Amino acid sequence: MSQKQHFFELIRPDHNFDFVGKTRPLLGISLLLVLLSFVMLPLNSILPSRGHALNFAIDFRGGTEMRVDFSKKLTPSEIRDAMESGGFKDSEVVPLPEFNNAFLVRFTAVSPLSPEQAKKAEGTLRDRLGQDTVRKFEFSEGGDKAYVRLNKPVGIEAIVGVLNESGITTAQVQRFGRPEDNTYEVVLIGLDTEVRKALDTKLGAGSVVSIPQVGSVGAKAGKELRDNGIISLLAAIGFIMLYILVRFDFRYGPGTVIALLHDAILVMGAFAITYKEFSLTTIAAILTVIGYSMNDTIVVFDRIRENTTRLRDKKFAQIVNISVNETLSRTILTSATVFLVTLAMNVWGTGVIRDFAFAMNVGVIVGTYSSIFVASPVLIWLNDKSNASQRKPRAKSGTTPV
Amino acid sequence: MERSFYYRVVAYSILTLLSAAVLIPSVEDWMQRPNKLSEQAWFKKIINRKIALGLDLQGGLHLVYEVQVDKAVSDKADRLSAQIEEKLAKDKKVRGVKVRREGDGAEARLHVVFPTKTDARKLDAAFEREFAKYLTRDGGNDAAGEIIFKMDADYIDELRSYAVSQGVETIKNRVDKLGVTEPVVQRKQNDIIVELAGLSQGDFERVKSLIGKTAQLEFKMVDDGTEYMQKLGAHADSHKAQYFGLDVGYDAWTAKDSGTQHSDVYIKAKDKATLEKFVKELPSELAIPSDHEILFELTSRRNDEGEETQDKVWRSYYLHRRAELTGEYLTDAEVGWDPNTGRPEVSITFDSEGASLFEKISGNNVGRRMAIILDEKVNSAPTIEGRIGGGRARITLGGFSDPYQLQQEAKDLVAVLRTGALPAPLKKTFETQVGPTLGPEAVNKAKTSMIIGTLAVIIFMLVYYRGAGLIADIAMMFNVVFLLAVLAMLQATLTLPGIAAVVLTIGMAVDANIIIYERIREELRAGKSPRSAVQAGFGRAFWTVFDAHVTNLVAGVVLYSYGTGPIRGFAVSLMAGIVCNLFTSVWLSRAMFDWTVGRKKVATLSI
Repeated sequence: MSQKQHFFELIRPDHNFDFVGKTRPLLGISLLLVLLSFVMLPLNSILPSRGHALNFAIDFRGGTEMRVDFSKKLTPSEIRDAMESGGFKDSEVVPLPEFNNAFLVRFTAVSPLSPEQAKKAEGTLRDRLGQDTVRKFEFSEGGDKAYVRLNKPVGIEAIVGVLNESGITTAQVQRFGRPEDNTYEVVLIGLDTEVRKALDTKLGAGSVVSIPQVGSVGAKAGKELRDNGIISLLAAIGFIMLYILVRFDFRYGPGTVIALLHDAILVMGAFAITYKEFSLTTIAAILTVIGYSMNDTIVVFDRIRENTTRLRDKKFAQIVNISVNETLSRTILTSATVFLVTLAMNVWGTGVIRDFAFAMNVGVIVGTYSSIFVASPVLIWLNDKSNASQRKPRAKSGTTPV
Repeated sequence: MERSFYYRVVAYSILTLLSAAVLIPSVEDWMQRPNKLSEQAWFKKIINRKIALGLDLQGGLHLVYEVQVDKAVSDKADRLSAQIEEKLAKDKKVRGVKVRREGDGAEARLHVVFPTKTDARKLDAAFEREFAKYLTRDGGNDAAGEIIFKMDADYIDELRSYAVSQGVETIKNRVDKLGVTEPVVQRKQNDIIVELAGLSQGDFERVKSLIGKTAQLEFKMVDDGTEYMQKLGAHADSHKAQYFGLDVGYDAWTAKDSGTQHSDVYIKAKDKATLEKFVKELPSELAIPSDHEILFELTSRRNDEGEETQDKVWRSYYLHRRAELTGEYLTDAEVGWDPNTGRPEVSITFDSEGASLFEKISGNNVGRRMAIILDEKVNSAPTIEGRIGGGRARITLGGFSDPYQLQQEAKDLVAVLRTGALPAPLKKTFETQVGPTLGPEAVNKAKTSMIIGTLAVIIFMLVYYRGAGLIADIAMMFNVVFLLAVLAMLQATLTLPGIAAVVLTIGMAVDANIIIYERIREELRAGKSPRSAVQAGFGRAFWTVFDAHVTNLVAGVVLYSYGTGPIRGFAVSLMAGIVCNLFTSVWLSRAMFDWTVGRKKVATLSI
């Protein structure tokens, strides 16, 4: 065909950037960033304005989170004080700028009754109803019910009276189980009602318009969710590595996995630095970043594999550089489109979508970078190593030039 | 043009039409506008699946309860203690045996303490065999006449498992009565997961209390015409000034069959607290006998014609403490209407044992009143007209309340009665409630970002690849249709993260196209004809695209298996997106390319 066709191109096809030669200084930057990500964790825990390694949502540390809409303008510290006087210690108040006078209130209590209160209530019950009468006042954290176990029947009113005396407001007290069990169930008032009461008392009646969202996670459930999150990340990495081993060969595996760890760590680091909320959704976003970063690396590796059979006369490092250059246009285009979409979600989205998009924005950038500057050098290094050991089967690996 | 091309076009068209049809019910839901086609019976029969909106989009409750299984074990141990005491006294004539439980759950030990060493020998192997299913001997102290039992390990497992499954059934039945569409009640080890979508904010507390409710239904005999109540009435009469609104009332009725006259005294007040205070402050000579108790009922005051008025008052009943019958014998409860008053009522059915008990009790107490007590409150105390066989009884819901509210009350009551008490208490470990206004707000915001993101990608592809970009955009549209159709077929739940996944899929959908197009461009640059360039481009790029998709799919599968709630929604959307993606970008756009390059000998390709 004589007529040469012209395309709309961002990158000329005859370009040949030297990527492989520049890996050393860039690898240094990568290491520095990874280090920074890790340093931020203990640093965050001692910073007075932060206090936790990551801004863990209640998913991971347990507790209660509510969105409270107020009828007037208030500052976070005013709300915090009001919560404090209502008995909710150490509450965190985060303004939600997307909404009018809306705040996220977070505190550690997951049930309307604290262990100290429960203990006090048991003492008062024993005092009033008699030591021998009360067998046990059972209450487990996270529950919204308590159980009073007695040795003989007592009027419901008497129990309600004693509970009120020890500062416990109840929705209902009723018999539980068989009559001869003499067990009474105490239904406690919901946390959101308690919070509304606390805020309205201090800030004036009608201050709270509504509490449209409530989430609470018990400490045990929080630990489970955290463990599951870590397991899922490890499982994903393991399975992906397995797939690479099957589809490519052993030299390709470590490169992809190191690149993917690099990306996951940097995304976590971004959350540590910005102190954005780190929740279950963030784990999902990191997993998506991992998938995306893999996608990117595989496109480059696929081309390398193809070129090694085509360009037998060239050195492996050269082949890698050619392959990266050949796929560069695609890499940049794809990253640009995904970045565009996630940027739109970040700017115009809300809540979960926004946090998710933020993670993806960071992930797309580091993922693109890592497939060129992290995965490829590791592949070259491993290839050289395996070649050297094939040539000199008895030589020690320490003699291999890197 | 090859014949196979036409086959492909026909196959893709059918697939697209099917997908569009599958989506009709879902789209209707979102638009809230039914159309003619979907109202046809045949259509409903074939296509009834749709995408549900997640809790975060339409508001609702997500609760996780942990069943306190050890309490169920401890309770059983307590009941066994009583049985052992009773049996030893009855069969072996050993008096003064005390059985006490130490420890909870699997650690529970029953210490059977005999008054003398010789008595302890009466607990022989035969006796032990009767309890073998539940207990095994765990040492003892011969000198002190003490024998220790522990609960059988298998039986403990059975009890625990039963407590959870019974809890699931109980909650399921209660939730089903709420009229929530597609409630989810699942078991996960010792946890029970409850998801209720589309509830209004005001319902949250009601629902939560209903789920955890442990209603106790009891039937007790009213002790009529006692001297005690006359004394109490006189006392109340003389202390009216001290208790605001306290009054004394008299019942009088004639038993239908025998014609015997009955009469009784009761106390009443507008405020229940007044009555409770009065009873609490009774002088010691008027203290309620230990085998009796006084409970209250909320009734409507009758006017002079004996008709009920809007006026409500609390009245007392003097009852035998012993429950003749409890909710345990109940098999069924139903909401009905009392034909005389038009009020909702709850009819209950007993099992055979309960029915025979009920028949015996009613037979022995004709002319007297039996109180139906729910949660320590007298619901009603009808006079027994005669022996009642068949094991049926009715609870009428009283008062001139709002009829809707009454019916709701009746339904809630049925839900509680039908499933009885929970076998073990529940502990809430996880809770999310989303107000119904929050969902649409989030959807709107998500919609904006989705439209902007999608438009950006569409325009970008058109500018960069022109004709081929158009193909990619069309393929992307199909991709979204297929993806939603798959979600509808799976009856998946669309959550906020799920929407993010759909948008993300759009971003990734073009990725496959970009890989292929860049390849085609390379082939064109190398001097190939458009037709062979398309062929080579698709052929060479296929495995790259495939590998890239599989790795993403791995991430999706992992997310699905470990995630919960909204994360699962994300994973489902992601996986469905990846599969549809592979199909549209590799095969569907290939067909479109074949069409552009295959019609005539084309010299150039718009790419």
